[in-house]
Amino acid sequence: MKQMNCPLNGLRNISEFIYGGEYHPMPDPQQCDKREWVEHVFFHENAAGEVTEWWCHSATSYWFLARRNSITDEIIETFPASKLFNKRVDFSAAQGES
Amino acid sequence: MSEFITATADSVLRRSQLYHLQQSEGAQFAKYQDAVVVKQFSSNDSQQVKSLGVADLSTLPRSGFKGKHTPQWLEQQGVTIPEQPNCATKQNDGALVARLSEQEHLILSDLAMAGSLAQILEQSWSIEPDYMCYSLPRRDSHAWLYLSGEHVRAMLAKVCGIDLSAVEFANGQIAQTSIARINGILIRDDLNDDTAGFHLLCDSSSVIFVWQSLLDAMAEFDGKPVGLAALLEN
Repeated sequence: MKQMNCPLNGLRNISEFIYGGEYHPMPDPQQCDKREWVEHVFFHENAAGEVTEWWCHSATSYWFLARRNSITDEIIETFPASKLFNKRVDFSAAQGES
Repeated sequence: MSEFITATADSVLRRSQLYHLQQSEGAQFAKYQDAVVVKQFSSNDSQQVKSLGVADLSTLPRSGFKGKHTPQWLEQQGVTIPEQPNCATKQNDGALVARLSEQEHLILSDLAMAGSLAQILEQSWSIEPDYMCYSLPRRDSHAWLYLSGEHVRAMLAKVCGIDLSAVEFANGQIAQTSIARINGILIRDDLNDDTAGFHLLCDSSSVIFVWQSLLDAMAEFDGKPVGLAALLEN
């Protein structure tokens, strides 16, 4: 069976993982226009080549990120989400919205 | 050590989800502190524990804590926490503290319930603003089984993809993985120097399936359910 390296639990069968979609950085909700926000929420790149994706180890509900080649299906690396999400993001309602 | 007081399976509110199945397998139930446990399945339990046995500890105390400040809070309470995730450490009172991730810890009572670390921690915990340590009760969410004996690794290899051999998987090591296709927590905690043993915690709603799957996998090695009394003898 194909295997994946979970940053918390180590090498596990791929059946223990759930795909969580593409990773793309969130635009600043205070600064971006509506088009940019809609693209962030609903659109996907679906790129052929090297992509960064969310994966979850279901036995621990542990979410992490993986770089994968979507053509060859090779998993290049996996790493904890804390590597990219290393500071608190506070949300407040964007100006002009209700 | 607490004493076993003979009781029926449904004599107290805290009973295992498995008690109907255990009744049909000839279990002798006993009241043990605030819970009803299976004291014994047969007079051969002591031998069975050394060969291959599964005990249901689901009614015994356990607890959990999660959050950024949890390691700090547990250390303040005098708990020795493992340095790495997926490791477990025995406490002075016999309780087992399992570190499931950097910030999540599971506390299992000792089998004799001589100490009461899980209950003491639950009582001393309170939610405080800006202090991220959250109580994560495990007594109702998770079922707790204990597997032991010389054939335990061969049996687990049938239902679990992780290499649990003595060399690869040290005493006190944890695997959070799929067991009989159900997500579970496996903690190696040998009964003694001669008898290997693993705690298995899984969602309580799945435990009937897990119990039946384990008994099916154990049949090849003449594995049988055992009572708590036989574990305490060893």
